[in-house]
Amino acid sequence: MNIKSLKIKELPILLILLLLSLIITIANPTFLTVENFLDILKSNLVLAMMALGMLMVLLTGGIDVSVASIIAAVTVITGQSLIHFSSNIFVTILVACLSGTLMGLVNGLLIAKLKIPPIVATLGTMSVILGLVLYLTNGAWITGIPDSFIEFGRITLFSFELVDGRTIGFPVQVLFLIPVIFLTWFILKKTVIGRGIYAIGGNLESAERMGFKADRILIFVYSFEGFLIGLAAVVHTSIMRQVDPNAFLGFEMQVIAAVVLGGASVLGGFGSVLGTVIGVSLFCVINNGLILMHIPVFWQKIVVGLIIIGSISIDMIQKQRVEKNKIRVDVE
Amino acid sequence: MKSGVKKLIVSKEGILFCIFLFVFFLMSLLSPGRFLSWYNLQSMAYQLPEFGILALSMMIVIVTGGINLSLTYTATLSMIVGGMVMANISAAGGNGILAVLAGIVIMIGMASLCGVFNGFVVAYIGVTPMLATLGAMTLFEGISLNITKGGAISGFPFEFLMIGSGTVLGIPIPMILFILIIVGTWLFLERSKMGMSIYMIGCNPKVALYSGVRVKRIIFQTYLIASVLAAIAGVLMASRYNSAKESYGSSYLLQAVAASVLGGTNISGGEGKIAGTVIAVMILQVISSGLNIFGLNRYLTNVVMGGILIVVLTINFLTEKRSK
Amino acid sequence: MKRVLTVLLLMMFCLSFVVANGSQEVAVSDEITIVVMPKLVGIPYFNASETGAIQAGKDLGINVIYTGPTTPDAAEQVRMLEDLISKGVDAICVAPNDAAAMTPVLMKAKKAGIAVLDWDTPADASVVDLSIHQIDDREYGEHIWDLLVQEMGDTGDYAIVTGGLSAANLNTWIDAGLAYAKKQYPGLNLVTGKVPTDEKQQVAYQKTLDLIKAYPNLKGVVGVSTPAPLGAAQAVQEKGMKDSIAVVGTSLPTDSGPYLADESLRVGTLWDPAKLGYLTVVMAYNFLNGEKPQDGQEIANVGKISVWADGRTVIMGPPADFTKENYASFSF
Repeated sequence: MNIKSLKIKELPILLILLLLSLIITIANPTFLTVENFLDILKSNLVLAMMALGMLMVLLTGGIDVSVASIIAAVTVITGQSLIHFSSNIFVTILVACLSGTLMGLVNGLLIAKLKIPPIVATLGTMSVILGLVLYLTNGAWITGIPDSFIEFGRITLFSFELVDGRTIGFPVQVLFLIPVIFLTWFILKKTVIGRGIYAIGGNLESAERMGFKADRILIFVYSFEGFLIGLAAVVHTSIMRQVDPNAFLGFEMQVIAAVVLGGASVLGGFGSVLGTVIGVSLFCVINNGLILMHIPVFWQKIVVGLIIIGSISIDMIQKQRVEKNKIRVDVE
Repeated sequence: MKSGVKKLIVSKEGILFCIFLFVFFLMSLLSPGRFLSWYNLQSMAYQLPEFGILALSMMIVIVTGGINLSLTYTATLSMIVGGMVMANISAAGGNGILAVLAGIVIMIGMASLCGVFNGFVVAYIGVTPMLATLGAMTLFEGISLNITKGGAISGFPFEFLMIGSGTVLGIPIPMILFILIIVGTWLFLERSKMGMSIYMIGCNPKVALYSGVRVKRIIFQTYLIASVLAAIAGVLMASRYNSAKESYGSSYLLQAVAASVLGGTNISGGEGKIAGTVIAVMILQVISSGLNIFGLNRYLTNVVMGGILIVVLTINFLTEKRSK
Repeated sequence: MKRVLTVLLLMMFCLSFVVANGSQEVAVSDEITIVVMPKLVGIPYFNASETGAIQAGKDLGINVIYTGPTTPDAAEQVRMLEDLISKGVDAICVAPNDAAAMTPVLMKAKKAGIAVLDWDTPADASVVDLSIHQIDDREYGEHIWDLLVQEMGDTGDYAIVTGGLSAANLNTWIDAGLAYAKKQYPGLNLVTGKVPTDEKQQVAYQKTLDLIKAYPNLKGVVGVSTPAPLGAAQAVQEKGMKDSIAVVGTSLPTDSGPYLADESLRVGTLWDPAKLGYLTVVMAYNFLNGEKPQDGQEIANVGKISVWADGRTVIMGPPADFTKENYASFSF
């Protein structure tokens, strides 16, 4: 029964994704090639990883608008550490995740211990972190990342040759995303913390009465998000090969939008890893399709806005219909 | 009497006002003779209203438990459409005052359309406000860009520029408008029946529904009114900048959310006072202008603003905890 | 306790008026203060011009304030200018985010007896005393298209990736280049309207990947704005198409080094932003001293300038082109 209702929840948005893909494919068959799939994958890994962290935050009924500032800070730290400290990939991951987790921890403490509403606390840390990053770096790019790290970023897996002689394959950065997806799913579905996260988002007071330690769970969630941002920063740096402190201006809205598109509620308690993955995919496919479908630039934003509102409206109307049916069953 | 004063000071607005006084004093000390010059006070009185009106517009939406991310693009889309009409009438040799009136009517009409769109999607379809207005933000920006092709609309009649730069009895016209809007929104939100319903919806929409509030209709109307306020801010901006472009004021968006919350508005709805938001807007204005005149690095100004947000909310938390 | 505090604050408030009035004379100092305001602070291009402006201040023994908004928002820029007029300065040099929006505030500045200059991007010609251009915009646009043709040949498909759709100076160059190409190179075929990239390398990278797939016969990409050519070059490099697709654009030689080295970016063209900052301050200083710029005048540390017939439009000089061979010899 439980599984069945879960399936229904993500079905409409999945259908929209498939429908949209179909339309783009008809307009331009290139969409449905392995090469395009790999391109989309590679250029949206960062978005996907950050979205999974954001999912957990939204599930608790919170929100985090500081994610873009945090990843900007972590990429700068990562870049400096690569140049001045060590180009070892494991050391880099450690440095990045540690600094990301610390910044997430600050958010968590502000929200859990000082009871500052999440959007306000993270709005505050957003200006503070970004302000400091840009003050200290003055926005200058960090170039001269060690070659060994750049080479690492270029590794491809399961490579094969295309008809025109070029070789393509899975980018090595996928190795970061897959464990992250699994880990997030595992925490949410198989651990006490995961149940606590859903419970807090459903109703904080009753969750506490049930014995969940809301404080600790909130601190964990924001720190975990920081941790994922750390990983995302490594992925980003290995793809872009230089660090632009301004690269993530306004990115927080994309992350939140992708998660909410995937069916997560900003009020908490609803949302799943599968839904988020679909939401992120939908987001990427819309962006990818704009140019492939030869949509004129001055119409692109209009199309994106309409698709976002349209798809979420369809999703909503569908849900309400299901709700109504349920109520009818209850009454009968 | 004594307890009345005490209550006032311990209230959120009282604390905020003390912070305002403190910040004002600090800025006067940092740049003696410059911050407190008549010129600067007047210049701040010109700057404050456009942001203040946007913050009030954001606030009434937040009180319903929503948020409006399309706020600044509503303002710019309406100023672009209205501005185009105004510039065309003016270029065709039409009467200036008539052109201004037509332009303003169209700006408010366009913003109402935006409000109807947002309100319909949020209230009647039931889409989460954050996502609905995020989509609307992209949509309005897209339409604006499509109209202007990336340029700015200019060539407004001289009479229009007076709105943003004129004075009546030495008081800047934008300030007068702002005061009228403060009084208007206060009467609407804190003294009218509809305002009551808005607070109820923000606290708990289900309870509101069961106590006979027409929840959907009121949410719809709130987005409509908020958009009209955005259009008025748009009129001020277009007049002060003598042109209209899709990106004007985009930095006000998150600042407006920050001002509402700094002013004591509960981000999940149901709580918030006009006075608090107005004082918060004043605090942000004084810090921004003061530190700019003092010559602090612009990024550190952002750090200070973020810091103040966190500190004030921590103070709120601590006083609430103590009073309990 | 609280009441004491309030009374204290109120006293401080009143006191501040007294203090302020007492020290009125302090505001009028005899040192010359020149404000140089970029479109925004914290990006490499405007950092470079900051070093030049500050250096000029040191060389001339005057006070230079280099400050600007943190986002390219005209509203924010106007507010800052109003504050600076209150502060009381001698000259304002502004790179407007939007020319029309600056007109009222610049008129205010003039009324207050402040010299008004524009630099980098022209403001309303009727309100400025001097207009400092790095370059003749039309010639620059034509130059970029000449470089494109030099690298891809004068026939075939090409695309433009630009910083943003509403960036006035980028649009001027593109329009000039397009008009020129129509006349001079009728064989060139622009596949789609200029593609906006949000001033971010990773967006330019994604968009170029999409362009390559959407238009398989693509032979050239023009990147306008400093991060855009890098993102385009990266996409071409990763696709292994640097021999079949020529990327040219307006980039800083230091940041684009890695892409110039392997010729995924064939040519970059730009002026030295530091020199532009330097020239702006010198011109403002000379103007305050009643000296008018002369055509062919030699400016120390900058070079020969040219002045238009209107007597107030100053052109710094032709841009420098960077290629694989010479990029290492530039320092900006």
